[in-house]
Amino acid sequence: MSMTSGINRTPLIGAIVGCALGIFVLQNGIGNQPTGKQYESISETLKNGNTRTVKKLKSGVATPAFQGISSSWQRDFNQGTVETQGLSPDQLLFALAGFREMIAGILWVRADSFFDSGNYDAILPIIRLVTVLDPKQIDVYATGMWHIGYNFTDEEQRSDRRYIPSALALGKEGARNNSLTYEMFFETGWMWYHKIDDDYSNAVTWFERAQERPDMIPARRNLITNAYERDGKVDKSLDTLFKLYETAGKKAKEDAAFGNKQNRDTLENKLDTTLVRMVQRGWFAGKDGRPLTGYDVNPPFDTGFSAKVTVTEARVLRFEGTWNVLPVGTRIRAVLRDADFPNAKPAGMEWDFSNDVNLDPPRDKTFMQEQLFVRNQRFNKKVDMSKDPTMYPFTSKDYVIEFYYNPRSAPPHIQDKFSWNGEGFTDKNFLNTQVREGQRVMYTSVKISKDQLLRRGDWREKVPVIKTANYLDKDGKAYNQADQVTIDLPSLRAN
Amino acid sequence: MFRPIASIAATTVGEAIRRKVLLIILLIGVLFLVVAPGLGMLSARSETTVLRGMMLGIIQLTSAVIAIVLTVYMIPNEIERRTIYTILSKPVQRWQFLVGKYFGAVSALLMMMTLMTSVLVFTFWLQQRDASAIPDLIKAPVMYFVQMSLLAAVAIFFSTFVSPLVNFFLSGGLYLLGSLFAPFFQTLQESQGTPPAAKVFAQLINTILPNFANYNIQNPIINPGQQIQNEGSYYLQVTVYGVLYIAGLLVAGTIVFDRREV
Repeated sequence: MSMTSGINRTPLIGAIVGCALGIFVLQNGIGNQPTGKQYESISETLKNGNTRTVKKLKSGVATPAFQGISSSWQRDFNQGTVETQGLSPDQLLFALAGFREMIAGILWVRADSFFDSGNYDAILPIIRLVTVLDPKQIDVYATGMWHIGYNFTDEEQRSDRRYIPSALALGKEGARNNSLTYEMFFETGWMWYHKIDDDYSNAVTWFERAQERPDMIPARRNLITNAYERDGKVDKSLDTLFKLYETAGKKAKEDAAFGNKQNRDTLENKLDTTLVRMVQRGWFAGKDGRPLTGYDVNPPFDTGFSAKVTVTEARVLRFEGTWNVLPVGTRIRAVLRDADFPNAKPAGMEWDFSNDVNLDPPRDKTFMQEQLFVRNQRFNKKVDMSKDPTMYPFTSKDYVIEFYYNPRSAPPHIQDKFSWNGEGFTDKNFLNTQVREGQRVMYTSVKISKDQLLRRGDWREKVPVIKTANYLDKDGKAYNQADQVTIDLPSLRAN
Repeated sequence: MFRPIASIAATTVGEAIRRKVLLIILLIGVLFLVVAPGLGMLSARSETTVLRGMMLGIIQLTSAVIAIVLTVYMIPNEIERRTIYTILSKPVQRWQFLVGKYFGAVSALLMMMTLMTSVLVFTFWLQQRDASAIPDLIKAPVMYFVQMSLLAAVAIFFSTFVSPLVNFFLSGGLYLLGSLFAPFFQTLQESQGTPPAAKVFAQLINTILPNFANYNIQNPIINPGQQIQNEGSYYLQVTVYGVLYIAGLLVAGTIVFDRREV
């Protein structure tokens, strides 16, 4: 037996079209729907002391006539925007299950065993997976960022700086997904301040964003004053110190807990020291337009930098040189990189060039950065890159060797002479005011070929030596040997 | 007009609660809810966060399996067992049969989800001793119910023209896709590397697909601290969205079922 029924389909099709229209309007809204980037998270402290965040449209962004479900859901209920690059389909599918926090937590416990066994490579995909599954797990972002930025090193414990843009990208993603709390803003600022140790304006920006979060702990709030100093904003540092000291004083009065009193005393000590240094370094005098005669920073001290780099064996360099500063504490940055290294800039790179957490940095590119420690006014350091071919692949044809010193990174006892911005610092041959805008730094660079670095071809029997014109050996002689070929390190002023 | 629908729905509920496979799935879900507080200790994450995430996950997953298993067999079983002839020989229209079956399935689903939510509330209260968090916690199962009703409508629509096995994977796949697509839709739309054609395609998919992710409201419940703007209005919108989609699917199912020879 077969049965069919005849109904008038026209009104039914009309009903389907009506439903479809309603669905379309509800889902997509009316008018231009704001994107995730057009919102900003604003933290509020409630009367009961708890904090909460509200996502509001940035100024200048028009409110749509009717906000669709899709846009509202992305704003309020999506767990976080995650960069999908580098995730396998099974990792994506994991995110579907309703047990994301649980699985993420278990995976993180598993990662701990890899830390213990030193299997650092195995931790990277776990970090990524955990942050995708549970973007609110701040510990993973913070630890992952530190791990990527600090723990990938060569045999001589030099960091693989090709990973730093990825570490920063992870920090930025963590901050985006956890905008209610200060932690990832602080961690990202710390990466700029401590690891990159240059471009301090970025550290200041991130620390300032961390300060805006009410849950930031007092001891960490104080660090921004150091970042201001290193960014050349000494007056801002002083203002902030006074404000922090005032707050800490009130807090210590309200609650005489040891931690509160200790924080107040620490700030008082720091304030005293800063004021003394500002006077001794002639900061107030300079601000008032008075002559700096008699102040520690006057006349500027000539560091007398000179250097010699010898390619002793294939992929092995010896850095030697002079630096006339007697107190211990100077570290001169030496960089060896591909001449065409992507996003390179003098003595570094544009670290913040990507938002993608790429756990596989450019394996065919070489970037070596070493700190040359000065003792008794000389430095002498052997850099052996032969044991780590994956970190130093040397696939390019041309390379650059750079020397760089920035007084802003100097320890306080050296800054007492050089001051915060290098007012008391000079170098007859290598002072540079171009590579870091508005700053007085020492900088020089020279090109070197792959054949020279690998001691092959014409350079099999000859020893390449890169030398500044003013370089003198320990016994005070210009150093020359028959089998060595000298390449001059350029200077604007050296003879 | 509504009496036949109510009768068919009541019969369907009776059949559903007698089906052992559904009761076993429900029992497993309830068991997991009961042991969930103990499993939280395995994780390195805050125990409350894991507990909330896991319990809501269990309810969602169990409900989705029940919704699919319950509905994929409904029409094909009636045809296979030839009981449909007895029903359609009475003054019952095909659309009434389809709608009655759907409402029966949704009612059974409501009963089962209510049971699971009660267990969730009791277990959570027993573990946390914090009644203030419970109203927030219940919002998620309520939205999951609308989500599962939509899933049941998808499955019942497919059951009018495909076999149960195919329907199981088709509905399950659509549920996965509808839940997965939304979180990455924004990333795709905002990424500068996405070609314009792909963006248009993504917009099309986001509109056509039943957007199950709209009902995944658990994130602010698991990680509290964010104020939801116009919360009530959002829930109303997604409910209306669900009702419209369900209505569209039932009408489409009626057209297909009406043309089908049984």
